[in-house]
Amino acid sequence: MVIGVFILLYIGLGFLIDLIINAEKYPQAPLGVISQALATGHLIPYATFITTGIAIISLWVTYAFYDKLMLLGVEYHEVTATNAKNLLEKQLYNTIEEMQVAAGLKYTPRVFIIEANYMNAFASGYSEKSAMVAITRGLLEKLDRAEIQAVMAHELSHIRHLDIKLTLTASVLANLTLIVIDVLFYGVLFGGGRRGREREGGNWLLIAIVILRYLLPLITVLLMLFLSRTREYMADAGAVELMRDNEPLARALLKIQNDYDGHQSEYADDYRRTPHEQVRREAYIFDPTTAGISPKQASSDFFSTHPNILKRLAAIGFNK
Amino acid sequence: MAVIIAILVIIVLIIGIIVGIYNTLIAMIEAVRNNERQIDIQLDRRYKVFESLINVVKNYMDYERSTLKDVVSLRNQALSAKAQGDTAGAMAAENKISGILSGLNVVFEQYPDLKANQNALQLQEEIVNTENKLAFAKQAYNDSVERYNAKKKSFFQAMIVQMFAGKLDFNFLYWQLGSPEDIKKREDYTVKM
Repeated sequence: MVIGVFILLYIGLGFLIDLIINAEKYPQAPLGVISQALATGHLIPYATFITTGIAIISLWVTYAFYDKLMLLGVEYHEVTATNAKNLLEKQLYNTIEEMQVAAGLKYTPRVFIIEANYMNAFASGYSEKSAMVAITRGLLEKLDRAEIQAVMAHELSHIRHLDIKLTLTASVLANLTLIVIDVLFYGVLFGGGRRGREREGGNWLLIAIVILRYLLPLITVLLMLFLSRTREYMADAGAVELMRDNEPLARALLKIQNDYDGHQSEYADDYRRTPHEQVRREAYIFDPTTAGISPKQASSDFFSTHPNILKRLAAIGFNK
Repeated sequence: MAVIIAILVIIVLIIGIIVGIYNTLIAMIEAVRNNERQIDIQLDRRYKVFESLINVVKNYMDYERSTLKDVVSLRNQALSAKAQGDTAGAMAAENKISGILSGLNVVFEQYPDLKANQNALQLQEEIVNTENKLAFAKQAYNDSVERYNAKKKSFFQAMIVQMFAGKLDFNFLYWQLGSPEDIKKREDYTVKM
């Protein structure tokens, strides 16, 4: 559903560009007529095609290189069934295999360890077949076996519900939408001088672009938040379903929260020093911004990609 | 004319729905069967893993025991040689012990995890992993049986199942403990150390 809104928004934007181009070409025609002509195919909406093409290509690239993209800027290594260096890594791989059996998934995701002290984990990928989970060294070392298993059950639930693809698609479309509206805004701002000022419709378009320039970021952010929050709840529920026990997940979430509370400034530095942290934000099991770690310090519950930890615990029926 | 078309459309729709339900149920039945085999796979895995673990542990323990014996006897040799004033003999025995120990070190370096404590932990992890997988396979099987039963018995689906009883109606048993005594035994089980 949210994806549909994103696609509509994006195509609408392409259409708007067409409208602008054609409004310049045919200064006499009213906007209504032009948009009708575009919609019925009398005028070919080149810009819509081009923007759609760009979207398809970027989605394809994202799907093909999701693992590299999601691990941008961090130091990591892959764990396989045979190359586990110590008991912890072996344990990590084993828990994933166990949850895979419980979930009835046909493929084991690739497993990566991120060399970082903060506690976090995420899943990504295109389908069950090509999926990955990544976990930070801090999480691996600070949680016990059952808790790691709960975290992995959460991540595998993301894979099972195909949230991984959804999140990838949504974030690509959201970013593209913002880029396109930005280009449009500055193009109109600096290149708009030569347009006939006497034209009524042109002004309306200008106003629309200016409004969209400030409205769209807000809309995309809200949509993304809605998406990732509902998905987080679903993954938590999925983890409990697989484990038949809510306690390990609750313990893990509480441990992560406490750990963040204890090392806030340290981890804030770590996150800030890590380039491209933004790409992972929606995918993490624990949103660093809820612990007050954010470059912009916009850490209110309202703008967090994840629900408040107490709400998450309540949703899985765990009351401390 | 319009009535005939309407009736035709309705018939096509109904056939479509029936085909859809039929295919869903077939997929569920196969999922149940696969999950049933998955339990066998895990049982098989457990057998093989535990067999090989036992062998490894046995070999390792034999090795350790014989090494220990060697070291103890050499040590005694060295002590008795020393008591008799045979320094050269004592030195030779001590050197042999060092030889054994360095050999042992080489073995440890080849298998860094072969340290006693680590070894036990690894063994424990392997056992936990194997038993968990088996338990989760049973859980997944029961889940798929539940999904199939719920679908099969729900309204509308139940009618179609009756129509194709031979192909769609199966009575899969949930995995469970057998006899009441068996259940009682496990319920009363406590760890004795």
